[in-house]
Amino acid sequence: MQPIDWSQFWIIFGVCAVAMLACRVLPLFLLKGRSLPPRVEEALGYIPPAAFAALVANDLLTPGMFDAGIWPAAAPLVAALVVVVVARLTKSLLWCAIAGVVAFALLLMLV
Amino acid sequence: MLGYVAIGLPCGILSASIGLNAFQVFLMCALFYSGAGQFMIPNMWLAGSPVASIIASVSFVNTRQMLYSTAFAPWVEGASKRLSFLFAATVTDESFGVNLQKFEQGGWSVARATLVNLWSQSSWTASCVVGTLIGEALADFIPLNIAAFAMTSIFICLLVTQKLTPENIVAALCAIVGVFVCKAVGLAGPAIFLGAIIGVACAFVFARVREKVGSRATD
Repeated sequence: MQPIDWSQFWIIFGVCAVAMLACRVLPLFLLKGRSLPPRVEEALGYIPPAAFAALVANDLLTPGMFDAGIWPAAAPLVAALVVVVVARLTKSLLWCAIAGVVAFALLLMLV
Repeated sequence: MLGYVAIGLPCGILSASIGLNAFQVFLMCALFYSGAGQFMIPNMWLAGSPVASIIASVSFVNTRQMLYSTAFAPWVEGASKRLSFLFAATVTDESFGVNLQKFEQGGWSVARATLVNLWSQSSWTASCVVGTLIGEALADFIPLNIAAFAMTSIFICLLVTQKLTPENIVAALCAIVGVFVCKAVGLAGPAIFLGAIIGVACAFVFARVREKVGSRATD
């Protein structure tokens, strides 16, 4: 992996920060208490489940991941299941991060 | 609140792992201030995503802030523009719930809500910067593949704590399939962004079909 350089940092940081500020501030001032069109509000509501699912899938799934045998490739999937259980029980980001890292490390040691 | 601060440490450690220094992380906390976004950047960078794809995906995820901003609009009437701006610019998932509840209960002001926001932001900034310094100091000792699983775990937590409506489940499943198909056909770079859009589109269509079926059943 190439470390991120200053110009790449400025582009990512600059654009993301401006877009974030616009999303945070513009509706408050432009809508003046009127609500967003219902269909827009509905679509915005689908973004978090879709986006977080996409991020998880990108980390866990790769075409051909089981080509070299089931076990080492399944370790992150098993650790992910542990995190799902912890998430349902605790709803805590911190416990999920700890459980995930510990479960993944233990599973890698087992192999 | 404590959990939120503690999450800043791994965020800083992982930011350091892609070569961000403490000043860059400080800038992100001060002016971008997005927990999910600040985890997505190192996550996608480690996955080899191109810069454009990182920007598109992070900004797409953060559009949910528009919902929060809209919800607060009635409560800032009468407050000065400058204070309203500062308040709106520092809203997060965590402080949104707390502040909206307090506004609805009454006896809550924009100034106090802004203080809650700024307190959360300072704590987040401090823990991220400390995490970055830890990450730089221990760079040779932290196994990156295991540490990176903290990010995956956080995304899993954010996913499974969403409301489990049929539409949201369709959105998540279609996004997962979308990412897999994108990777299979060689579109690994924009896979996250395209997958998320596919998920949103499928959920939207699914909701329309459900409405139609529902209205036909009542006819």
